[in-house]
Amino acid sequence: MLEHIELFFKSIFIDNMVFATFLGMCSYLAVSKKVTTAVGLGAAVIFVLAVTVPLNWYLDQYILRDGALAWLGPEYADYDLSFLSFILFIATIATMVQLVEIVVEKFSPSLYNSLGIFLPLIAVNCAILGGSLFMQSRDIQSAGLALNYGISSGIGWFLAILAIAAIREKIRYSNVPAPLRGLGITFIITGLMAIGFMSFGGMLTGGDEDEGVASPTTESAVIKEDAKEEKTLEVASITNEKEN
Amino acid sequence: MGLKQNLHKLKLKYEGKKMAPAFNALHTFLYSPNETTHSGAHIRAVDDLKRTMNTVIIALLPCLLFGIFNAGYQHYYAIAEAAGTAAQYRADGFFSTNFWNWDNFAIGAWTVLPLVIVSYGVGLLVEFIFAVIKGHEVEEGYLVTGMLVPLIVPIDIPLWMLAVAVVFGVVIGKEVFGGTGMNILNPALTIRAFLFFAYPTWMSGDKVWVHEAVERAGGPDAISGETILGSYAQNATTIPYDYSDMFLGFIPGSVGETSKILIIVGALFLIFTKIGSWRIIFSTLVGALVMGLIFNGVVDAGWIDDTSKFHGLMSVPFWQHLIIGSILFGAVYMATDPVTASQTNKGKWIYGFLIGFISIMIRVFNPAYPEGVFLAILLMNVFAPTIDHYVVQGNVKKRLKRLKVKTA
Repeated sequence: MLEHIELFFKSIFIDNMVFATFLGMCSYLAVSKKVTTAVGLGAAVIFVLAVTVPLNWYLDQYILRDGALAWLGPEYADYDLSFLSFILFIATIATMVQLVEIVVEKFSPSLYNSLGIFLPLIAVNCAILGGSLFMQSRDIQSAGLALNYGISSGIGWFLAILAIAAIREKIRYSNVPAPLRGLGITFIITGLMAIGFMSFGGMLTGGDEDEGVASPTTESAVIKEDAKEEKTLEVASITNEKEN
Repeated sequence: MGLKQNLHKLKLKYEGKKMAPAFNALHTFLYSPNETTHSGAHIRAVDDLKRTMNTVIIALLPCLLFGIFNAGYQHYYAIAEAAGTAAQYRADGFFSTNFWNWDNFAIGAWTVLPLVIVSYGVGLLVEFIFAVIKGHEVEEGYLVTGMLVPLIVPIDIPLWMLAVAVVFGVVIGKEVFGGTGMNILNPALTIRAFLFFAYPTWMSGDKVWVHEAVERAGGPDAISGETILGSYAQNATTIPYDYSDMFLGFIPGSVGETSKILIIVGALFLIFTKIGSWRIIFSTLVGALVMGLIFNGVVDAGWIDDTSKFHGLMSVPFWQHLIIGSILFGAVYMATDPVTASQTNKGKWIYGFLIGFISIMIRVFNPAYPEGVFLAILLMNVFAPTIDHYVVQGNVKKRLKRLKVKTA
């Protein structure tokens, strides 16, 4: 139970899809002009992640990873099909997105119209594929945890697009310098929002349950934090360049 | 009124020229402008944006003054502590002569005033440049930011770091959004966040809070001063300060945040002049207390024992969270920033509550950042427009329903 709660908060706030890994930026930037549309897209992302991550977990567990085919018989035990991860994961995702599209068109035509091209584009949204790949690389242990991971990283993305949509509605009449209007200022806002989200960086890493492995985890957390800082600096420099 | 007339003449002389905004700014900073509206549906009042900003600065001055003396006091106290004579040097009571003396003032003036000068100099320079390029009047938004910045940094921060951070904060944090009143994040906190993440060694630890501690480190006359939060984060069971020290402010910390009693005076002043929102201040404190109570409950229930890394801060009595660290300073001067806070009354309650709640959460759960208040406020700045959006939508729905009931 504790690990579920921990994973939930971690993937919403600490490893936020947008602010920690900068995934799913294209739809995040393009569909964040209005709050209502952003909510629709965010909900779609949560749903797709919640479905595809557990599905891909099963794929990974029983087909792809090293020795996963052992259930077919001992002669298959040393197959490693993980080079097929990308193509199989994306196939699952594309199928699911088609399904979501059909359902949304049927039940909420107005949302379908306002989402426009971006609903099919969820299929190639890096946040969705990223969810599955992180699930694989972070070695998530059970299907339940994978479901949790899918939902919570979806919620993280949802929160991000919700916040930026509200901010963009607020600054609609601001006197932003002409060269920065539109995407430029949105990038800068995203960088500043990432600073806000850094409040959670490194949180919970000094866990008390596993005192034995505490030092390696904190070390890796430090390294991770360094990487994160670099990333923010990069963003800062990018914004600086933009500014110039 | 000679000065005023002269300034007015200067302004008229340069009207339409490139430097006009600069003279206009000087004039309106000191006096109310000569030209006012004559017709139309305007409310005429003398308290324009500059007057508002000046009021906040007046509320901040006691903190600055105390910070100047405290800089010297912490310095000499740390030396006395290293020499083993701390008990004699200790300030007893608010009017202690160990605190209010010229030695302390000299050190404080030598360290704090340059921070103020650099902050204002660099910040206003950037503002003037932007105003001249854009051809509008100089915006007064930096007046408060420039005073807040020296109060929320450690005493010995190198001045060039402060200058770089101020440029970042003013340009990226404010000017790119179109200037004062348009920014998303509080510029002063943006500056502090920039310093915190870019130069962490100068922003945290037990060496940065006391003047000269960094230079003397490792030497025979080494001194140090850990903040109370820092000691608690390392699971210290006893701290060398009592409650009156914390409340009156004789503790190490950022320049202006230590004296709780002066912050309360400033808060009353801001509430009385209706410039700070009492809703935000009050709900922030409530949020902090609630989170503190939850952590106390966790400790009392025995879910966590004293081997845990979080035990030290979790077992701090909930009310004590208000007098250690900068939660009070943040709640009074930072969270109430009318631009970046929620604009709706209901939104202000939610916004403030979450600030307090998340501050204490970061303080306890994030050993890397024992002081989470500024990050919590930045985070809620990000979500303030979202809160407002839903409060407004809720009101719209309520009224629509009322309309339906009436017409039905």
